[in-house]
Amino acid sequence: MSVWNYVVTAHKPTNVTHSCVGNFTSPQELNLIIAKCTRIEIHLLTAHGLQPMLDVPIYGRIATLELFRPHGEPQDFLFISTERYKFCVLQWDPDTSELITRAMGDVSDRIGRPTDNGQIGLIDPDCRLIGLHLYDGLFKVIPFDNKGQLKEAFNIRLEELQVLDIKFLYGCSRPTIVVLYQDNKDARHVKTYEVVLKDKDFVEGPWSQNNLDNGAGLLIPVPMPLGGVIIIGEETIVYCNGTIFKAIPIRPSITRAYGRVDADGSRYLLGDNAGLIHLLVITHERERVNGLKIEHLGETTVASTISYLDNAVVYVGSSYGDSQLIKLNLQPDAKGSYVEVLEAYVNLGPIVDFCVVDLERQGQGQVVTCSGAYKDGSLRIVRNGIGINEQASVELQGIKGLWSLRSSINDPYDSLLVVSFISETRVLAMNMDDELEESEIEGFSAEEQTLFCQNAIHDQLVQVTATVVRLVSSTTRQLLHEWNAPSGYSVNVATANASQVLLATGGGHLVYLEIEKEKLIEVKHIQLEYEISCLDINPIGENPNYTTVAAVGMWTDLTVRIFSLPSLELLTKENLGGEIIPRSILQCTFEGVSYLLCTLGDGHLLNFLLDINTGGLSNRKKVSLGTQPITLRTFSSKDTTHVFAASDRPTVIYSSNKKLLYSNVNLKEVSHMCPFNSAAFPDSLAIAKEGELSIGTIDDIQKLHIRTIPLGQHARRICHQEQSRTFSICCFKNCQISNEETEMHFIRLLDDQTFEFMSIFPLDSYEYGCSIISCSFSDDNNAYYCVGTAYVLPEENEPSKGRILVFAVEDGKLQLIVEKETKGAVYSLNAFNGKLLAAINQKIQLYKWTLREDGSRELQTECGHHGHILALYVQTRGDFIVVGDLMKSISLLLYKHEEGAIEELARDYNANWMSAVEILDDDVFVGAENNYNLFTVRKNSDAASDEERGRLEVVGEYHLGEFVNRFRHGSLVMRLPDSEVGNIPTIIFGTINGVIGVIASLPHDQYVFFEKLQANLVKVIKGVGGLSHEQWRSFNNEKRTADARNFLDGDLIESFLDLSRSRMDDIATSMGVTLEELCKRVEELTRLH
Amino acid sequence: MWKEVRDREAGKLPTSAFASRVRSRRLSALAICNHKEIISPHHGAVNSLQVDLTEGRYLLSGASDGSAAIYDIQQATEYEKGLIAKHKSLFVVDKQHGYGHKFAISTVIWYPVDTGLFVTGSFDHYVKVWDTNMAQVVMDFKMPGKVYGTAMSSVAKAHMLIAAGSADVQVRLCDIASGAFTHTLSGHRGGIMNVEWSTSSEWILMTGGCDGAIRFWDIRRAGCFRILDQSQSQFGRRPPFPERTPTEVVTRTAAAGSSSVNKLISKKKATLGNGKKQSQAVCKLQNLTTSHTMHKSHPGTASSYSRATAHFGAVTGLRATRDGLYLLSSGSDSRLRLWDIESGCSISVNFEATRLQTNKAIQLALSQDSSAVFIPSMSNVKVYDVLSGLNLQTFYGHYDMVNCCYFNMQDQELYTGSNDRHILVWSPPSSSFSDMDEEERKRLNLKADEDNWSQ
Repeated sequence: MSVWNYVVTAHKPTNVTHSCVGNFTSPQELNLIIAKCTRIEIHLLTAHGLQPMLDVPIYGRIATLELFRPHGEPQDFLFISTERYKFCVLQWDPDTSELITRAMGDVSDRIGRPTDNGQIGLIDPDCRLIGLHLYDGLFKVIPFDNKGQLKEAFNIRLEELQVLDIKFLYGCSRPTIVVLYQDNKDARHVKTYEVVLKDKDFVEGPWSQNNLDNGAGLLIPVPMPLGGVIIIGEETIVYCNGTIFKAIPIRPSITRAYGRVDADGSRYLLGDNAGLIHLLVITHERERVNGLKIEHLGETTVASTISYLDNAVVYVGSSYGDSQLIKLNLQPDAKGSYVEVLEAYVNLGPIVDFCVVDLERQGQGQVVTCSGAYKDGSLRIVRNGIGINEQASVELQGIKGLWSLRSSINDPYDSLLVVSFISETRVLAMNMDDELEESEIEGFSAEEQTLFCQNAIHDQLVQVTATVVRLVSSTTRQLLHEWNAPSGYSVNVATANASQVLLATGGGHLVYLEIEKEKLIEVKHIQLEYEISCLDINPIGENPNYTTVAAVGMWTDLTVRIFSLPSLELLTKENLGGEIIPRSILQCTFEGVSYLLCTLGDGHLLNFLLDINTGGLSNRKKVSLGTQPITLRTFSSKDTTHVFAASDRPTVIYSSNKKLLYSNVNLKEVSHMCPFNSAAFPDSLAIAKEGELSIGTIDDIQKLHIRTIPLGQHARRICHQEQSRTFSICCFKNCQISNEETEMHFIRLLDDQTFEFMSIFPLDSYEYGCSIISCSFSDDNNAYYCVGTAYVLPEENEPSKGRILVFAVEDGKLQLIVEKETKGAVYSLNAFNGKLLAAINQKIQLYKWTLREDGSRELQTECGHHGHILALYVQTRGDFIVVGDLMKSISLLLYKHEEGAIEELARDYNANWMSAVEILDDDVFVGAENNYNLFTVRKNSDAASDEERGRLEVVGEYHLGEFVNRFRHGSLVMRLPDSEVGNIPTIIFGTINGVIGVIASLPHDQYVFFEKLQANLVKVIKGVGGLSHEQWRSFNNEKRTADARNFLDGDLIESFLDLSRSRMDDIATSMGVTLEELCKRVEELTRLH
Repeated sequence: MWKEVRDREAGKLPTSAFASRVRSRRLSALAICNHKEIISPHHGAVNSLQVDLTEGRYLLSGASDGSAAIYDIQQATEYEKGLIAKHKSLFVVDKQHGYGHKFAISTVIWYPVDTGLFVTGSFDHYVKVWDTNMAQVVMDFKMPGKVYGTAMSSVAKAHMLIAAGSADVQVRLCDIASGAFTHTLSGHRGGIMNVEWSTSSEWILMTGGCDGAIRFWDIRRAGCFRILDQSQSQFGRRPPFPERTPTEVVTRTAAAGSSSVNKLISKKKATLGNGKKQSQAVCKLQNLTTSHTMHKSHPGTASSYSRATAHFGAVTGLRATRDGLYLLSSGSDSRLRLWDIESGCSISVNFEATRLQTNKAIQLALSQDSSAVFIPSMSNVKVYDVLSGLNLQTFYGHYDMVNCCYFNMQDQELYTGSNDRHILVWSPPSSSFSDMDEEERKRLNLKADEDNWSQ
């Protein structure tokens, strides 16, 4: 039963909804504060750019965000209000780098209708009061007292019901608001009111302005000395302050965001729907406005917020594309643009649709999303793991080893690459043209396989082969000294660091050499009872060139042994258990913690905590990384050490918050890897793959990686076809045809590897692509793309005509095979028992795939089902059909084969306005609805009465706070069969804010355990601004609010791992389990995403 | 609708705006329903209708023959030709029932918390509380006269009171918990046609009487605290500032006291502030009332001397808007009036060409966002825009006087009951017929034919 669900965010929201600039963290520091719907990020402006300081979740959807400075305070406070009518005032605590709650409260009312045009929150520039417009016809005022404390709130009746924007005017003796509103004849006007705090009422303000531009939608209050307000329309921009009225025409555009450039308010940046950015200048003479000027600056992402930072650097936050940090140059570039993009911040939102595919066929899902809107529409490939951006490659067969060397130990860059083969060693060097060419090191033996290679401390190079250890000067490249293996013995494995060499020969001999200035000295030699399989002397102590412990892995008894150096005394012997021999061993330090990593021949990795002084091993953990033997190698990226595990599933091991994390590398098989930091390829890795040596840089070491395929148009539906290895998308583009904005809709075919456009199918005018699937039919093995469309005519409320188009992919082209006209929009398509199930307006319709006499194919109506308001979302499983209705929640239908009919079995009688549905298992279905809630319903087939059987029982409710557009079965991570989470079914969802989340259906005992943990965590982890977790997660719609049930907040539970040790201990005690056990169980959950 | 769905999924259209746009579009398309029929079992005029507030699934009707019936409006009992859903009553209680009403049922309401109980009021002087599952009377209240109207508060958390208006001049509050009358509210000079609880406060009751008065009661205090006066009107939607009538101030403070939902927790201020504020409000209230009445009598009784009327003749219908800001009333003067609840002023809205039944309480209905009102107007139902008074639509369909309307917000369906004994359903059009494919239609016809032959 999938009743007990765990909801967790795999990719945090990236849709920037608000931003502001001020001195928040200290009076001297300038901060950029960004709100991403349910999160707040605080950045510090530094000479090098934006430096993140804090990123915290907010238990609410942020409706307004404002910085303000109460009287007598040296720095700014942050005011936040949430869509569920909570507000808080936050202050920065410099000691703990946390947010302190100065005030908080509830501003909900029993009277009034919530505004449709969005909540407005604003603060008087002289800090006398906070104004909120939350309900039509009411203006709520929270006054400040003289000490800057908030007083009791009260409501004032606002006569204007359709308010578009409200702002406070500057420089007024009494707080004065200016209201932009629409009357019931759809004309727009501006009016001012003064707030009389004593009477708790409005007085008519100093001026008003009637009959503005019909598209007027934004007010910009102008600071003193100019005062007044700028009204941004679609065709005009107006300045007025009661006495002066100046207007200029502009090119028709919808302005979304503005940012003030100067403190005196004479220049503003305006960002419009098309992503164009303009500078608006108020020209004035002796503090009297005499005109407006507007200048086009260039193109950015479609802005939802604009914050001018400093020195012509501007932050452009976006809801529909990547947010940007731009610089405004004084001189235009070649294209006439003054805008230079300094940095872009990935935004997946809005995720309108996505599909889960396994393109590399590695058993790991990737999510391909339709993201963005307008011109910033794109496809994003989101995968868990790290990418290598290949920069150069050569074909080389049979690589057995790979090392990079520097010309001197102090040289910052590697210049040589030693590649070892079965019977030879080649040296590659960077030439003047930054190309790799074959080179030679005279002192090296080139006719043997190299076992190990290393720069040594006195500007030397060390080469270990099966017979000899050579010490070569790195300046003259001449042999200085050599150590020969005793005759009859050959060196099997060897390792070295800058001053030490450890090697093993047949017969279990372990030899320790030290590197002196001119020679190699054999310091110690012991014989062990079995053959040695692997060894390591990577320095992990304070000295980067010398270590006092060596790790050795053994054949036969399958142990790992720690020896002290130089004495080669056995410190620890750890039995590995099992029957698999250790193949690679590595000691390393992450974040100050020393580990011993050991890989086995079957692709498992063991890790231990290593005590450097005693050589003790503790805290053994085992994970499976691949199926083939793994070789381990350290490398550093961004000044942090990581470990690369080369195998059939290459993995990077890194540490975060003192936890070891494993990220897949998106390469197929890697046999060897070494860091290669050359001048031409800085921070690169040399990677030996099958038949190829390549050099590439590595992505940031993080969990999720995103690749962007810009489309320049808005993609709405996507689906993947395995057989043709293609994606197909429904997309559209806004076109300007003779002054009229129209949309052109297409079906596009893309290659699933290169993402190149292969074919395009234009739809008719007014025809929109609504749904797309890939399917095959009974008695026909071919795979087809089926597309559902609608003719959206301007005069029709609801489409009365649409088409179902069936395409085959032939020679990389979309070939239309069949088209079938429908009597409405085809909102959803599903493959169903070898037939096609379509949701057309109110109706569910089943089509058969039949063969005509002439051999052509046809879609033939088989049966249908009525009784929906709009059947927007449909999912199927076997003969069951689950329908998510526009406003009537979920219903369950059954297709009856014998009768050839679809019948309703049960439905949920609640009035949920659906946004997505998915089938969790035979009995349980999950739905997402209009008020950002998730809920699950269960089929009651065992119930006694018809009435109960006909009702889907609501079993789980949860407020997600995100608008879910799509659920899909699948997983972002590789499922490791040995871990407990391997069998937990998961679905992925995508939201408007760019969140990718996972819903995992837990077994009941696990659920109960984590529910208890969540209850304990709620007590320890307090919400920012004093907002309550319980209230935030409670199911909430227009009609009712109910506590969350049968859903767990994974984000909260996983934040357990970020707690301090003492708090973790407390929680473990109250849970009645050991801390190790608890950490292990939570860590296991984190591997779900 | 497709464009709205698309804009919503891209985040361009806020979800609340999406819902209200869809609703208003469906509302404007209301017409007599072509796919749903309610089979009325009544042998008399249908006087009252209500759909339960919890599931929006069961319609309750009361009729002049003393019968009440319940229908499942979501799940049809049978389909005619597989398409027209017929909703037969799940059960009927009438005069034959041992505890049924002897005379006409004038009002039926659901218990707002669940569908386990419903309440009927009848001309036989009884208000009866029924157990839905057993179809049995669990409690009854004997009123001093014919019962015209009953109401229960849908926002109440602290009480389970049925407000009942009857031919007697007193409003009585019947407590389901104890089975006794808890209050009798005196003030009206005629029978009480209509009772309506405030949608914003569980303590405020509004009543309309045959004397033409609409009185507001705070049931925690004695007496009525406001009488609506048709001569006091405002032209805008807001009362003029700063001149105020004393009554207005009283109402302001009273409203502030009752709706102190706005909590503000600043660090130093504890819950102390709230208590203090309330006591202040009470003080102010008393001061003000004593200042303009000469008697030392109870503050509530002061208003009983007022003869202000809201309508000429009787007040026949009352309905408060869901946002708690306005009250709509209808009177036997064929007028419809809109009142600002906070100020008590009548708002000058000219509802075009209203003609109303004069001798009977009528049941008005409001749309979800309270922008449109449905009014039984003789044998038609008229739809008006609440704030402008424009007649948006007129529904023709009944053969006789319409008595009651009920708007089902969940499905945007309107139910109307009339003297012609029918209950009609008005809904946004469903294209089930028109979008049916030719072949399917043929098949259905064929089936129907087969049935005929086999019979």
